[in-house]
Amino acid sequence: MSTRFVLRRLLQVVPTVAGILLVSFVLVHAAPGDPVLALAGEHGDARYYADMRRHFGLDQPLPRQLVTYAGRVAHGDLGFSYVQGRSAAAVVMERVPATTLLTGTALLVAIMAAVPLGTLAGRRPFGARDVGVSALALGLYSAPVFWIGQLAILVIALRFGLAPVQGMITAGGDVTGLARAANVLRHLALPALVLASQELAVFVRLTRSGVIDELTRDHVRTARAKGVGERAVLLRHALPRALLPVVTVIGARAGHLVAGAAVVEIVFGWPGTGRLMLDALQTRDTPVLLALFLLVSLAVVLVNLATDLAYAAIDPRVRLR
Amino acid sequence: MTATPGGPCLRRLLLGALAGPLALTLGVACAREGARRAPRTLVAAIGGDPGHLNPAITTNGGVHTAAALLYDGLLTLDEQLQPQPALATRWEVEDGGARYVFHLRPGVRWHDGQPFTAADVEFTFTQVLLKFHARTRASLGPALAGVRVLDDSTVEFRFRRPYAPLLQQLDMVEAPIIPRHVFAGGDPLRNPANTAPVGTGPFRFVSYRAGSEIRYAANKDYFLGAPWLEAVVLRIIPDPATQVIALEAGEVDYLFAVPGPERERLRRDPRVRLLQATVNPGGSNCITTLGFNLDRPFFRDLRVRRAVAHAVNRDQIVERVLFGEGRAADAPISSRIAFAHAAGLPILAWDTARAAALLDSAGWTRGAAGQPRVARGVRGVADGTAFAIGLTVLPSQANYGDLLRAQLRAVGIDLRVEPLEQAVFSQAVFTARDFDTAIGAYCNGTDPEIGVRRMLVSSNVAPVPFSNMAGYRNPVVDSLFERAASALDPGERRRLYREIQELVVRDQPYVWLVETIATRAHSVRCHGFETSAHFAARARCGE
Repeated sequence: MSTRFVLRRLLQVVPTVAGILLVSFVLVHAAPGDPVLALAGEHGDARYYADMRRHFGLDQPLPRQLVTYAGRVAHGDLGFSYVQGRSAAAVVMERVPATTLLTGTALLVAIMAAVPLGTLAGRRPFGARDVGVSALALGLYSAPVFWIGQLAILVIALRFGLAPVQGMITAGGDVTGLARAANVLRHLALPALVLASQELAVFVRLTRSGVIDELTRDHVRTARAKGVGERAVLLRHALPRALLPVVTVIGARAGHLVAGAAVVEIVFGWPGTGRLMLDALQTRDTPVLLALFLLVSLAVVLVNLATDLAYAAIDPRVRLR
Repeated sequence: MTATPGGPCLRRLLLGALAGPLALTLGVACAREGARRAPRTLVAAIGGDPGHLNPAITTNGGVHTAAALLYDGLLTLDEQLQPQPALATRWEVEDGGARYVFHLRPGVRWHDGQPFTAADVEFTFTQVLLKFHARTRASLGPALAGVRVLDDSTVEFRFRRPYAPLLQQLDMVEAPIIPRHVFAGGDPLRNPANTAPVGTGPFRFVSYRAGSEIRYAANKDYFLGAPWLEAVVLRIIPDPATQVIALEAGEVDYLFAVPGPERERLRRDPRVRLLQATVNPGGSNCITTLGFNLDRPFFRDLRVRRAVAHAVNRDQIVERVLFGEGRAADAPISSRIAFAHAAGLPILAWDTARAAALLDSAGWTRGAAGQPRVARGVRGVADGTAFAIGLTVLPSQANYGDLLRAQLRAVGIDLRVEPLEQAVFSQAVFTARDFDTAIGAYCNGTDPEIGVRRMLVSSNVAPVPFSNMAGYRNPVVDSLFERAASALDPGERRRLYREIQELVVRDQPYVWLVETIATRAHSVRCHGFETSAHFAARARCGE
């Protein structure tokens, strides 16, 4: 594995992201709906809307707008949000930490729970434990996330008062340092668990089928024949290779780390990028939307690179060139 | 050799599976409630991130709700919509209503300590409101000849012709005054003060955390007296159901709106009080209206429009869509604008037999059982065409659509409900005029000039949201509105508006469905809220 491989992959990022931006730009503008009508509110007169359109450069033909936009992006300027009148990059970046905290925690919790559960289920396919684990994971996965979220709020937060109902930190509370971290953690628990419950199923199913598959392989039989203990067979010989597809899927999920989880963010009032994307879509705030798309595509490309590197670390047969 | 039964390995796996969620839950249990709410603090929930806090550059209701506590208008309106002093203490109306002179309150200071003067008023109107506040620009712009500073505490408005409704248009919603020294010389839409505002209002800005909360602190020097509260936090909670639960859990003290189904639950909750309001920042005294696209041959015949009006059961809408909170509309002007609202108009009552007879006579013959009516000799419609039409609605109004579909089916009209999100709705209905019927919530505001004229005058059939949706053109109505705008005598204005209402009820370009009201909810530990924009200026919490 080499620096050359990493460098080459990093260079591919540029055309990939440029292509994604181009397609997004065309798609966003092809969709019906006029940002000025959404932005300015009602009751204006036609000249007012024409003035606003000129103000934002929306009176230009689309190819011209695209050239202007591309030129700006090349200089690192993602434009101004129509709605907020601030730099689109700033609008997006201030929401990223909250989203990454939520989705990252959920992903971590889901993996920490799914790998042992999947292994447990895969050891004896169709045994009682397998049926139990699979039913749990699929049950959580099939329930709509807004419903699980509301239920969690009603039961855990309202009925038993174990967690706050909404937000990322107590309203109007001036807390700093450790107390602040604890406060955020209290607010994080419920949305992160709800989001994790959605991720759980995929990882459980993948781990389970990986373990089932590996346990029938020759190298496992050889290990058993050598007299290796069942625990070591499972944990040292079968599991690592069974986890390869899990790593792949983690990479694929990484877009969520910055794209956010709109439904959970709305139900729990979490100030993340998922909500921002929905707001920007509804108001046709194109600069913010495109900045978000840019960020998400960058994250996906980079995490995929990291996934490939992780592959090489887990599986000695993989050689990156 | 016997296979080792699960044993320690199994237990370890199970423990591992529980470790993630457990750690999180334990962490939470260990973390004590880190922050208690500060005393004299009110937490109110709002539904969306407003994006900025400058009510002078938009009519967006979210911005107005969030920014209202920061600003003042020259005047304020009382419950009867009569003008009361605010930044201006007295005023003179001269030249038969073509010249207004306002005397400003002495000693008022902006939140940053600068003095408030007539230059701020002149700047706000000429450089900001008349350019960017869509409603004030559309109503005041064409009539106004100029705003002039007479001295530091006197400002003059001159009009091209007598202009009657001015005093109803100078409150915080229609004309908030912003500081010249902060905004002069740049693009008001991109001024940093839009997210770190400076006003004169009862509260001053402290912080704005995007997507999370906006904080205000009391303005101890407020000219109408310092608020009792020390701080107000506007908490952004997008989901209405979560807002209600947050109120029940005590995390929030005040809600600007309560969804219908949750209202009953809160009404029974001894910890919660409900308030009713018709005044909303950004739009008040709203009438939900069904508009016909008069450019479509289906609706050219008055008999068809009257048939639809007869088929609509307004009381059922009040009951099933508004959950009892609101009233059937009985005139084109809201009953809350008492001076202009016409009583006893011949509004068509729910009468399906009459509706059926009108449709028969218009050439729409009954179809087979369960099928819509079919055209026979209807002008502009090919014989055999089924009476199947679309109803364009905003997603939030889809439940009106569902009920109307059921009501119109009873007279043989097939209604297809087409929900479109705001940006697309405006374009489809007002720009492309590509719709059969549509629902609009027309907020009348505090004067017919603000919110009624726009839906009836022919000059306002325009690609503008919530303009003349029907495409109604009646030169008599146009000239009556002209006269009403310059009639200073209240009796004369009332008579003119009555004449307008009689005409448009007869022409039926719209079916005025229901007057809506908003339900606010607050915790019993707080009281003293007002339904005006400065809702928390005199509120008290937790005494």
